[in-house]
Amino acid sequence: MILEVSSVTKAFGGLVAINDLDLAINEGEVVGLIGPNGSGKTTSFNLISGFIKPDRGEIIFNGKDITGFKPHRICQYGIARTFQLTKPFAGLTALQNVMIGMMYGEGKIRSVAKAKMECEKILEFVGLARRGQAPVTSFGTVDRKKLEIARALATRPRLLLLDEMMSGLTATEMEEAVRLVKAIGDSGITIIVVEHVMKAILDISSRLIVLNYGEKIAEGEPREVVRNEQVIEAYLGE
Amino acid sequence: MYELYAQTFVNGINVGALYGLAAVGLSLTFGVMKILNIAHGEFLMVGGFFAYWLFTLLGLDPFLSLPLIALALFLLGAIFYKLVFASVARFHEEVKVKNSLLVGFGLFLVFPQIARGLWTADERAITPAYSGTSFPIFGVRVAYVPLAGLIVTVVVILALHFFLTRTYFGKSVRGTSENWKAAKLMGINVDRTYMITFGLGTALAGLAGVLVALAQSVTPDVGMEWTIKALIVVVLAGIGSIGGAFFAGLILGIVEAVGAIFMGPYSVALGLVIFLLILMFRPQGLFGKG
Amino acid sequence: MIHWKKGALSAGIVLILVLIPLFVQRSDIITYLFLTLLYIILAQSWNILGGFTGQQNLGHAAFFGVGALTARYIWLHYGFPLPLAILGGGLATAAFALIIGFPAFRLRGVYFIIGTLVMAEILRMVFDNVFPRADVMPMKLLATYNLAPRYYVGLLFAVLSVVAVYWVNRSRIGLGMMSIREDEDAAEATGVNTLKYKLLAFAISTFMAGLAGGVFAYYTAATKVGDLFAPVWTFDAVIIVFVGGVGTIVGPIVGAVFFVLLKQLLSLYLPGGMHVLVFGVLFIVVVLYLPGGLIGLMAKLRKKPA
Repeated sequence: MILEVSSVTKAFGGLVAINDLDLAINEGEVVGLIGPNGSGKTTSFNLISGFIKPDRGEIIFNGKDITGFKPHRICQYGIARTFQLTKPFAGLTALQNVMIGMMYGEGKIRSVAKAKMECEKILEFVGLARRGQAPVTSFGTVDRKKLEIARALATRPRLLLLDEMMSGLTATEMEEAVRLVKAIGDSGITIIVVEHVMKAILDISSRLIVLNYGEKIAEGEPREVVRNEQVIEAYLGE
Repeated sequence: MYELYAQTFVNGINVGALYGLAAVGLSLTFGVMKILNIAHGEFLMVGGFFAYWLFTLLGLDPFLSLPLIALALFLLGAIFYKLVFASVARFHEEVKVKNSLLVGFGLFLVFPQIARGLWTADERAITPAYSGTSFPIFGVRVAYVPLAGLIVTVVVILALHFFLTRTYFGKSVRGTSENWKAAKLMGINVDRTYMITFGLGTALAGLAGVLVALAQSVTPDVGMEWTIKALIVVVLAGIGSIGGAFFAGLILGIVEAVGAIFMGPYSVALGLVIFLLILMFRPQGLFGKG
Repeated sequence: MIHWKKGALSAGIVLILVLIPLFVQRSDIITYLFLTLLYIILAQSWNILGGFTGQQNLGHAAFFGVGALTARYIWLHYGFPLPLAILGGGLATAAFALIIGFPAFRLRGVYFIIGTLVMAEILRMVFDNVFPRADVMPMKLLATYNLAPRYYVGLLFAVLSVVAVYWVNRSRIGLGMMSIREDEDAAEATGVNTLKYKLLAFAISTFMAGLAGGVFAYYTAATKVGDLFAPVWTFDAVIIVFVGGVGTIVGPIVGAVFFVLLKQLLSLYLPGGMHVLVFGVLFIVVVLYLPGGLIGLMAKLRKKPA
């Protein structure tokens, strides 16, 4: 098991966003995390990646207790994430964006020249070959998403958290994105995806976990889970 | 010994009320607009000089000039909002705060120069016949001018509170401060709300300026010092806590006054020490929500 | 190719600057050049934190003042050799900076800006009260006062500061700093310890501001201690950086030359002090409408020849 979230609770004011949540993720899995709006998917990502601290419970990654660690430390331990609304370093070039991941993440390559070479490869892998010198402000939605993934990959993660990467993409772009996620999974990186687009998530995931009101209501083989009555009810009730 | 401390305490309250009034306007604009107007003290300075003008040229009593000053500074603030701060207000939060600070910083340079041109660099104070008179109570001398100033401050802050909580416009101001996007969807004219809020903030600064010119004095360079005091008070109270600003002002005034007994010239550093302690141990301020 | 040209150009400029005092005897020109160099150090120091790391320090004068006061004191009163005194001033400044930097950077948003502003102004008030009289160089030094060594010390530290900023900008550290400026959350998520790199940028920036203070302490014959902490040092640094081009290496250099020239020009035609008004308006216009400064303007003009 690469990630173990046990009995984690997080409340904002009086509102319980995550209630006594248990997650167990195995190495090499691609897990889909789904649920209606406000069910706590992004909050779970924020908890795992250290952007918010749980009120109770613990998060074990790769055998280490990382509960309450700051995000940069968690990143250096090997968990990378993307943001639902992409957060590129907009004033820098695409290559510089990725180089920051390379030089500060788990790999921590300190030589600028070496990092540059490695980052060119990553940009090519995500489909941004020869766009390295372009300013990020010239990028459209799909390129921003690719860049966000490239930057996350550059930190050499063992676990990658992808937050709503399909939103705002056209059908063709989505196919491309699905191929990209599969390729990342094939390279051995464990992935958790939060996604609204059901077709994409069924294509990608080997297992689904369903949240509702901050609690886990179902998990298992994707096509079985989506037939689960409780799950259907949660979605219809939205 | 008792007299010394009691008198110092009273003096501290007098000065502290000015700090509080100076800070309330700053806190209001920051709380509602997320714009930190560090040229706040400059508007205070202008208010003080306006009242000085009215007093020396027309013989108008400073307390009677208060409504005029409030109106004049409101208009001045609205103009400055339209001229410079409106284009800052459109940015998203972090950029907005930083750019508003830079713009205010520029105004720091502009205002004292204009003031020097209009009023020379001399120190000016408003001195009506009753200034300096006082009455004794429990062995302490209470001067009329600061006492009246304290009353004015309390009345102004209560009026502001009433305005924000009871009137339709006040509610739209508070709605905008909670979430301007939602307020916009509800049909509130955000730009106009911002303009009026900014004007209210500068009007409050102007009122404080009148009291400062009356109780102490003003020079073209006095703005920075008052901005600093107001900032300390705002952080002490908790950023955006309007009512808290008044009490935090009193606390700073008393601490400085009492500190001066023991520390002499070093007592001005107390503000900085308070500021750092708040940052380290209670960043949400004394009256802010945890 | 481009690097080679730039290097040759920079070396040429430095060489000319080194030779100038041998051919130019007019002390007013040397003084303007010295001030330009001093402003380059001061503006580069502000730029490291404000331009590259995105944390605006509105109390830079405090650090200039601490550096100047420390350097002058240990140089004149404890007999430290001058280079050591200036370095000592820089180190003392950086150490002092962390007192405000640590609590203020732990919190995000405006706290750092307010903190630096409050600190600078309070230090000025305290020093004004505690040392009301001017600090004058001893007669022995005044009798042999010569501008040329001041100029060379200014030149040395100006070159060092530009080289330091150039190096930081091209290194891993520079990328980390810029990531904080662009997006703090994304920087953390990408492995950048934002608190650490903000403090590092602050330490480098204030160290350099302290050096600038030390250079000034060596230059000025007499000064009120409070004036070393006067907000004008912050104003000048910030205006130079923004007018030149914030977050660039050449910007503060261009800005410093422009600033000194324009200031002299304005003082010919305007009554005393009014140049400040012009600079204030210019600064606001640049912040609102020309965020790239002169460097950005030149780049735009080069792209679209009119």
